[in-house]
Amino acid sequence: MQKSIPLLHSLRFRLIASVVTIEIIMLSILVWNNISIIHTTHTDRLRDTASSILQQIANTSGRHMVAVDYATLEEYLSNTLNYNELAYIVITDRDDRTVISLGDAPANNIKIDTHPKQVKDGMFDVSEDITVADQFMGRVWMGFSLSIMHDAIHKSRNRGITIALIEIILTIIVTVFIGLGLTRRLALLSSAAAQVEAGNYSVSIPTEKNDEISQTATAFNRMVSEVDNQTQQLKKAEAKSSKLLNENRQLIHTSLEVQEQERKHLARELHDEMGQCLTAIQADAELIRDSSHGNSRIQTSAEAIINVSSRVYDVVHSMMHRLRPSILDNLGLVEAIKEELDAFKNRNPDIQCECKCAANLNNLDERTSINLYRIMQECLTNISKHATATEVCIELNSTDNTILLRVSDNGSGFDVDTPAHGLGLIGMRERVSSLDGSLLLQTEPHKGLTISIHVPLHANSQIYK
Amino acid sequence: MGLMLISGYATSSHATATPSCKTHAPLIFGILPFISAEQLVDRFTPFAQYLHKYLQVPVRIETAPNFMAFAKRTREQQRYDILFTAPHLFPQASKAGYRLIAGVDSPGMRAIFVAPKKSNIHTLADLKGKRLASVQPMSLANLMIKKHLSNHGLKPDIDVTLVITPTHDASLLSSYLGVTDASSLMRPPYEAASQTLRDSMRIIAETETAPHIPISVSPRVSTNCKDEITALLLKMDTIAEGKAVLKHNRFAGFKHADVKDYQRVRDHLLK
Repeated sequence: MQKSIPLLHSLRFRLIASVVTIEIIMLSILVWNNISIIHTTHTDRLRDTASSILQQIANTSGRHMVAVDYATLEEYLSNTLNYNELAYIVITDRDDRTVISLGDAPANNIKIDTHPKQVKDGMFDVSEDITVADQFMGRVWMGFSLSIMHDAIHKSRNRGITIALIEIILTIIVTVFIGLGLTRRLALLSSAAAQVEAGNYSVSIPTEKNDEISQTATAFNRMVSEVDNQTQQLKKAEAKSSKLLNENRQLIHTSLEVQEQERKHLARELHDEMGQCLTAIQADAELIRDSSHGNSRIQTSAEAIINVSSRVYDVVHSMMHRLRPSILDNLGLVEAIKEELDAFKNRNPDIQCECKCAANLNNLDERTSINLYRIMQECLTNISKHATATEVCIELNSTDNTILLRVSDNGSGFDVDTPAHGLGLIGMRERVSSLDGSLLLQTEPHKGLTISIHVPLHANSQIYK
Repeated sequence: MGLMLISGYATSSHATATPSCKTHAPLIFGILPFISAEQLVDRFTPFAQYLHKYLQVPVRIETAPNFMAFAKRTREQQRYDILFTAPHLFPQASKAGYRLIAGVDSPGMRAIFVAPKKSNIHTLADLKGKRLASVQPMSLANLMIKKHLSNHGLKPDIDVTLVITPTHDASLLSSYLGVTDASSLMRPPYEAASQTLRDSMRIIAETETAPHIPISVSPRVSTNCKDEITALLLKMDTIAEGKAVLKHNRFAGFKHADVKDYQRVRDHLLK
């Protein structure tokens, strides 16, 4: 199931918002720049025009000022005043008296401006000396109204803003359409990816257009198909492997059982056949010794036979014990553990051993007993070989339907992540697995090892309350 | 010794300047518009500055749009404190109260007839039926050439078409450029023209002599001021600075003048 995407995180929204924002910023800069250029152009144009007209009038007026021909000069200036932006012309003579005043001239104190940008009263006032042969003949004053220029600037600005707005609106529309088209197909991709994530490899995205998204969709379809094939093959391999593993495990379990049965059978044979024979040999040897009537050679030979047979018996007994401790079958698991632990103590007198075994667990079924016993044996063997421990504790108890065997030591422990811990641990796992139980290792380097085994209580087992 | 005395006069005149003319400040120096306003100002500014320096009063050059206006302003308004007008116009100014103080020290002025060398005009008689450039109708040159044509049996504007131009230079250029067949103008402007231009023209006739420019002052100028100006002008060619000014104006100097001389010219030309 696809999660809904927040608006601000939506690619569609961000795409449209980004394009529109950039467009607005760029157009604003463009319009601002254009307005600035228009303003500068108009003001410069007015300045140049004013300068040109002013210079022309100053040059032309000279001869009239010398000739005191104000009528002709006024007629000429009247024609000049027809220029739209020109608001007034004033001519003053050498004594600064006004001799000609045309248009809406200010009553007094004309403040000269250097540039239309500096004008504050709406009138660009300029002035120039009238000279003839470098002799001062008077002064011309002119005022240019900025209203026409401002109107032109306003019109240009409004036109620019209108064009910019139209472009922004068109951009928004186009961007929205393109954005919707793009993101709709991206949404298809996203949806398909979600379906693949959910395990549906039959999904396919249309790729009718020849663009980047279609190429991505094609690649996606190929990828999904490949993933589907690989997954199918993987599942098959996994099933096969699982089957092999189960068979292998079953084989191991069977092998272990057969091994135990064979050991048991071998132990019984040794006990029944070899034991009887050795007992008979020993009895006959004792009879020969006792019947030798002082024949030292016979007595010595008989004693030798007795000793040899006794040693053979011990060896056979030891082999029988290793193959199948009779105490396990006769007295049960708890007693077998205690006996094994005693033997371990004897072999490792520096290790302090403790047994916390519930006494009511002697009547467990044979399969459980022998496997737990073998696991316990393996644990002690490992402790003896590798742990360099000083304390060992074996616990055996039960809960409602579970038997717990825990063997712990305070030895060197090991790093569980380090691979290859030998075959002993694998054998233990297989034995636990054959009992449908679980095995838990708790260890760290130099912090000892605790092996906890939980196995279900078998129906054939009996626990005395 | 003489130079020292003159120099001493000028210096003392400057140093102990009497306030004779100060009451008239600024003094209006009216000059007949015989050349363009620009040329006029350029030519007479040193003169005005010279007067300003020694009279210690501002001297302002003025002219008029044309001879008629200049004569009218002179006659009716006595507008100009110092008047620099044509010889034949002075009698009218005199009637208006202007007092003659000096005249340009010169043998006299002549007008000339010139035609392009490439033309077939060699004598006055050749002008018959031709276009002759001239200056303003009231100008001395205009009157003199009309008189001269008449004296030689050619009726102006009948036998010879007069084409009026604003200045002497314009008159000369009109035939040089082919606008007219010949030109008439005063000799000094012709001699001031470029050598190239003069080399391409030929002088076909010359009028009789007329007295040079008279200098006068208006009735409102005080006697002391008038005398001061007169003295300054008459001694002008004795001072280095004055000489430089005179040279700039192409004048030799100033001398005493007689009103009768100008009246005689007027009578002769307008007869």
